Amino acid sequence: MKAIVNTLLWGITVSLLVFFGSGCTSQNTDLSKGKELIKSDKRRKEERAVEKFKLAVGAIQNNTKDSAEANYLLGFYDSQDFYDADKETEAYNAASISERGDHMYKAYSNSPKEYLEILIFETLRSQDPNIQDAARHALKKVYEYDNRQKLLKAIKKAITSKDNRDREDARTIYTAIGKDPRFTQETVEILIELLDHKRKETRLNVVKSLGEIGSEIAIGKLVKIINSGSEKWKREREGPEVRRLAVEALGKIGGQAVGELVKIIQNKGSSMRVDAIQALEKLGDERAIAPLLNVLNEQGGREVTVSY
Amino acid sequence: MDAKKRSSLIIFVCCSILFCFAGCADNEYVDTTLGLTVQQLDGDLDDRWSTTGVVIKNIHAGKTSNQPEIKEGELISHVIGERTINTSSDFNQAIESAMRDGNSFTLEFTNNNQKRRRQRFSVRREGDNVGISVDDNNRIKEIKSGSLANNAGLEEGDQVLTVIDAKNIRTIKDYKKAVKEFSRSKAKISFRTKELIGVKIAAINALARIADASAVETMIRFLEGTDLPLREPAAKGLERLVALSQLNDLFQQFQQEKANQLSTEELNSEALQRAGILGLLAVDLQTNQAILKDPIGTEFRRRSATLYQKISSTKITELAKKYIKREIEPNQEIRRSCLSILGNLQPESVIGDLIAVLEDNQETSGIRFKAGSTLSQIGSPAVEPLIVSFGNGDSGIRDITASSLGNIGGSQARQALIAFLKNENNETTKLTLVDAIAQIGDETSIRILEEQQESLDKNSGLATFLNEILTQRTETKGPEAEADSLDFLKDL
Repeated sequence: MKAIVNTLLWGITVSLLVFFGSGCTSQNTDLSKGKELIKSDKRRKEERAVEKFKLAVGAIQNNTKDSAEANYLLGFYDSQDFYDADKETEAYNAASISERGDHMYKAYSNSPKEYLEILIFETLRSQDPNIQDAARHALKKVYEYDNRQKLLKAIKKAITSKDNRDREDARTIYTAIGKDPRFTQETVEILIELLDHKRKETRLNVVKSLGEIGSEIAIGKLVKIINSGSEKWKREREGPEVRRLAVEALGKIGGQAVGELVKIIQNKGSSMRVDAIQALEKLGDERAIAPLLNVLNEQGGREVTVSY
Repeated sequence: MDAKKRSSLIIFVCCSILFCFAGCADNEYVDTTLGLTVQQLDGDLDDRWSTTGVVIKNIHAGKTSNQPEIKEGELISHVIGERTINTSSDFNQAIESAMRDGNSFTLEFTNNNQKRRRQRFSVRREGDNVGISVDDNNRIKEIKSGSLANNAGLEEGDQVLTVIDAKNIRTIKDYKKAVKEFSRSKAKISFRTKELIGVKIAAINALARIADASAVETMIRFLEGTDLPLREPAAKGLERLVALSQLNDLFQQFQQEKANQLSTEELNSEALQRAGILGLLAVDLQTNQAILKDPIGTEFRRRSATLYQKISSTKITELAKKYIKREIEPNQEIRRSCLSILGNLQPESVIGDLIAVLEDNQETSGIRFKAGSTLSQIGSPAVEPLIVSFGNGDSGIRDITASSLGNIGGSQARQALIAFLKNENNETTKLTLVDAIAQIGDETSIRILEEQQESLDKNSGLATFLNEILTQRTETKGPEAEADSLDFLKDL
């Protein structure tokens, strides 16, 4: 009896191994060859790997893990940097940033949970600005066409993360989405809520993003932060770094923000006067001229009798 | 613990908590005595600008105090109380208060000649004794020997009139305390206000960058003024405004087309270079387009004409001419800026003054060379004076004048340089002369240099230098040379 049970157990184990083994080897040949090329030391390996990824994308059925991987790798590596400009091969000039981003988006569509994390927490960490742009293009498409709530949750996780790289990357996603006029209002409202987050570095990135988006909707809240330096309670006072960036953000927003920058210049108790002046200097706005001349006419360093 | 002790402890704890909170919340104070509301300064003003004090938030209407003199927004660094002394007790109280909160005060007194005098006392440590006592007629009755008062020239019998105590204000609490104390003792109260010089410097820099015509007079006012930290930024600001005004022709081309982008072929390449250096535009070498930088270049496009008119109608040459002189202007950065201004305006009337700077061996070599390059910018009218200066000058002057002549070019400068080279014995000056002739770079100059090269010992320093210059020249000569001249604008 014992021998029979043992034989059965062995049989099950071996069949399972064979089953899983066959599962592993069933990956599309072009995809695995492409991946091997990337790992190798071969000459022009990326260019050759991209050819394989292209074949794999054409051959693999949609909504599979392989299809997601092939698309992602194609989006990641299909860069003109790897092609020989002198030879101007067919592949050269082939993929624009948006096309690469579209492949990354396809990867996400095939395996949303996995690639949402990858795009936000891995791809954006690439040193290559084109890869970052492609990833942001893909993420913006997720926002536009797919699961907006899940995306927002994931970016929020990143901008409130302990890791500075995640926070910076998340900031660039908010900026990329917020710069599209169709999504500005919603993005700015989300960012404004995040300005109350307990982590200072999160707030720093949020303020930066509000400046980069450049929407006038944010002016009121930014002004409140800047002026909080003289709030009654210490807990209501924002730190100087965030406030300085808020002034810089007003400078980037321009338009109606110029009036607010002028008010800061006129408040002699503010430590942000120089920052506001520099923001106006960068804007070159003529509304700044009279207030700046007034600053130069200010009286200071004098003694005034106030009571006899 | 009995019930009585416990309840007193609870009351004590509650009071302490309330006291702490009240202390923290004191960020604003309505001063009913003087009719003002003052506010604590921004927290990091101290960290960034080492500035403490309070700022006047509002001035309440209808108060009897002398308010019109003071303005909302002013920053109070000191509250000064001027106490009239009638009795020895007044005197003792005033001195005690001054010494308690600081380490200095000013005494106003009359001496035997009934002359009013003021004497400031400053002790090393807070609370130190000054060494004076007064009688009930507020006359000094005793001065301790070796004390501060003794050394300050006060004499027994002098009559003390007032004690002036300037209390440093760091917080709202300091302000409150000072005003209360001074008003209780019926002192005359004054505020010492403070200005942050950094803010004014930033404003000057910003106005120079925005480059509006209205800033010209302000820059001149500060350059001619006595506010030392503002003179140098004002000179640099004026330098920028003058440089920008000279780009008017270029910017008018953009303005006439109402465009922020034009083909470089239609534009003066030297003006493009200067505008690039001043940060107003960039050149796209692939499309050969000059693109105004937004907003600094695009905004200036509209202001250029008025700035040009303002600069042309203001006597800036006279002003700059005055401040290039070492005897008048001790700050060499201001002298340098003024030389730059003259280089841009190129007035022939200042050639003599520039030659004088160039020949001034007490002047720094940087400024002397700058005077030389300003003469080069003025061009051919400066050739003759430069030749004279070379002929009369020492090797230092010869170096500068030769370079300037090389930069100006033309046959007169070339002939002079060649003649100088033939007669020159100093090896270093010879190198400068060769360099200057190569700078002119026309056929005659090169022929002369080649002849010179043949006549020299091949191992000599001059021969090596000549060889280098002539080789470099052959290498850079070619169709790309002109494109190269704009190449650096690419990244600006």
